[in-house]
Amino acid sequence: MMQSLKSWEGGLLALFCITFALNAAFAPEFLTLQNQINLFQLSIEKIIVALVMTLIIINAEIDLSVASVMGLSAVVFAFLVNHGWGGGAAAAACLVVGFVAGSVNAVLIARIGIPSLVVTLAMMIGFRGFARVLVQDQSLGDFPGWVTNLGQKGLVGPLPLSLLLFFILLIVLGIVLHRTGFGRQVVVIGTNAEVARFSGLNVGRVKATLFILSSLAAALAGLLYAARLGSVRGDSALGFELDIITMVLLGGVSIFGGKGSMVGVFLSILIILNLRNGMALINVTGHVQTGVIGILLIGSVLIPNLIHDLRAKRSRA
Amino acid sequence: MTDSAILELRSVSKSFAATAALRDMSLAILPGEIHAIVGENGAGKSTLIKIMTGVHQPDSGQILVEGQPVTLRSTQEAQTAGIAAIYQEPMVFPDLNVAENIFISNRGKGAFMRWADLYRDAEALVVPLGVTLDVRRAAAGLTLAEQQTVEIARALSLKVKVLIMDEPTASLSAHEVARLLAIARALKDQGVAVIYISHRLDEIFKIADRVTVIRDGQHISTRPIGEVTETGMVRDMVGRAIDSFAMKTAANPVGEVALSVSGLGREGVFSGVNFDLAKGEVLCLAGLVGARRTDVGLALFGIAPATQGTIVLHGTSLTIGSARAAMDLGIAYVSEDRRKLGLAMSLPIFANISLASLRKLMGLFGLIDRRAESDMAEGYRKQLDIRSPDTLIEVGKLSGGNQQKVMLAKWLETNPTVLIFDEPTRGIDVGAKAEVHGIIRTLAAKGVAIIVISSDLPEVLALADRVLVMREGRQAGLLGIAEATQERVIALAAGTGERVAA
Repeated sequence: MMQSLKSWEGGLLALFCITFALNAAFAPEFLTLQNQINLFQLSIEKIIVALVMTLIIINAEIDLSVASVMGLSAVVFAFLVNHGWGGGAAAAACLVVGFVAGSVNAVLIARIGIPSLVVTLAMMIGFRGFARVLVQDQSLGDFPGWVTNLGQKGLVGPLPLSLLLFFILLIVLGIVLHRTGFGRQVVVIGTNAEVARFSGLNVGRVKATLFILSSLAAALAGLLYAARLGSVRGDSALGFELDIITMVLLGGVSIFGGKGSMVGVFLSILIILNLRNGMALINVTGHVQTGVIGILLIGSVLIPNLIHDLRAKRSRA
Repeated sequence: MTDSAILELRSVSKSFAATAALRDMSLAILPGEIHAIVGENGAGKSTLIKIMTGVHQPDSGQILVEGQPVTLRSTQEAQTAGIAAIYQEPMVFPDLNVAENIFISNRGKGAFMRWADLYRDAEALVVPLGVTLDVRRAAAGLTLAEQQTVEIARALSLKVKVLIMDEPTASLSAHEVARLLAIARALKDQGVAVIYISHRLDEIFKIADRVTVIRDGQHISTRPIGEVTETGMVRDMVGRAIDSFAMKTAANPVGEVALSVSGLGREGVFSGVNFDLAKGEVLCLAGLVGARRTDVGLALFGIAPATQGTIVLHGTSLTIGSARAAMDLGIAYVSEDRRKLGLAMSLPIFANISLASLRKLMGLFGLIDRRAESDMAEGYRKQLDIRSPDTLIEVGKLSGGNQQKVMLAKWLETNPTVLIFDEPTRGIDVGAKAEVHGIIRTLAAKGVAIIVISSDLPEVLALADRVLVMREGRQAGLLGIAEATQERVIALAAGTGERVAA
């Protein structure tokens, strides 16, 4: 397992270097710090949520409701601010919304035992519907100046708050996954939940923690999204869950659970950001970009399987 | 003699990467004989079967069927040549009926099924085996033994001349074993050569005409059964003498009562289980498969908690509602199914050993002390002689015996005072089995109260201080080791007046 993961990450690193070099060659200004920051900023909400999604998929579960929670959080924030709430109080309320949404998922999945695919699909529709009902067809904006500044401008030097949060989460969740007892439980449950149960692990509690974390991260990402764009609608962040899951799977995380690393997902995020940037530079439309990333994902699932089959054949011959 | 052989291997060798699995293996199988092949895990039995059934091709050497050299490139080609195998875990399609399963690979021609013919042909195959099996019933719900019968009939429908049985009795109860052995004899009477592979030496003495011992991929000996003794066979297998088959005749001196159970039961599963287990005592739960012995273990371990009766542990009456609660009380359960319940196969050895005691290794912010973890795992690797260069290897890559030791290490690390073993030596070789027995005896000597659930009667009689026999979810008897004999245990397990040939 270790060996194949390492070689997978090696491949990702090579792919990243290629996309990065091509970008730099096509557009000299690509290498400036501001440009690099912009690169992350364009997808910052997705890549933050992808970090928690990594743990969820390694745990052999899935959370399809993240984009709807993002949208709901953004809409609730705008709604409250437009109804006279202060920015700080509204933001806190959104995190509570995230916690409640995550708790609903957690109870249905971890306690009642409904498959996460079903629960989060239903919640994806439900939370989105709630967001649309709340704001109807309006576009809500008029946030306080400090909110949009926080969303768009640098906080520490040129680094905005969202990027700082991303790197902090990357490091913290990387340590949690690979170095802590909780992370070990996530991996073992993802490998074989029955073995975990027979070893005295509290499978339900681990799963519940992950789904609450996931919705909290999504609510936070929704706030950052609102602050960055300055206005939100009922369909904000629509369809983001698929981009997020793509990032995780391309990072070498097994959809069957039990395998994956934070380094792999980070590299996969870098590749996707650079690919999109590069394709935009040569005027490839957004839809085609999505197609290319789709092909990359299919390849990422196919290649390990093909290698596995070839190895099996060789050892048989 | 080799002229009349139905299947012959001449100097067959096979290597995988740098490891030689078979070296210069020669073997002749005669028509209508039951030929047992024995050897430790890793001796090359699996590779041998795979070469005979066309799964692997030999690097060098020849395979001859009825004196003619053949090349077997697939299991289909092997079947055409008249060689088929049945395994421990049979392959049946649950939604098809028995007859359809039997003729799955050679249905009659034409677009429509001729059901009457199908059932008649199926019965013609099943009846001579001396078993009662309705060929019209759905395969779902067949017992393991019945599924094996389906597989045997399937092989017969292909007109096989050589049938390989690979560990066919590993998961069968005593009377099912007796029936399978009868089927093997019926096949022999039909002129089919049976290659019989089993770790259970008593079965081999009951059934085999000749015995071949292999070790380290090499042919060690082939002898008529009359010239073989158990100790001689084991010596050939392991290359050294093993003294672990001695039956116990007197109980160990034991300490105070550790666990006392009365009227224990779980609604609709089992009921009326009573026993006292002392420190240092080994209590074996014997009985047929399906007697609900495992459920008693699961109730004590909190996975499927008891709903009736009382449990008194070290003098305190209590209920056990979860595995975590059981572990906190010092109870450990070494499950019988390593693959599904026991080990995370794709994770390394150290992560499996530390799994049940992660808390001990966790420090600030829940960080795992990786140095301590690796030292602990390394200690068990040496102490239990887990054969692996280090503890970073995936558990799935180890042999069954070594996997069993990893599982043991995992539970020993929790420092249990009551240790429940469920089929601790199923599917592992004699050498590893003796080691596991040794570990169980050592633990008992250290004062651990031990429960062993086992379908292997010689094992029960070698380990137990007392034997609790279960039948159909109820306690059928509790025997001291001095009064426990194979016959008495079987009689209790199968029910009075229903004695099964031992």
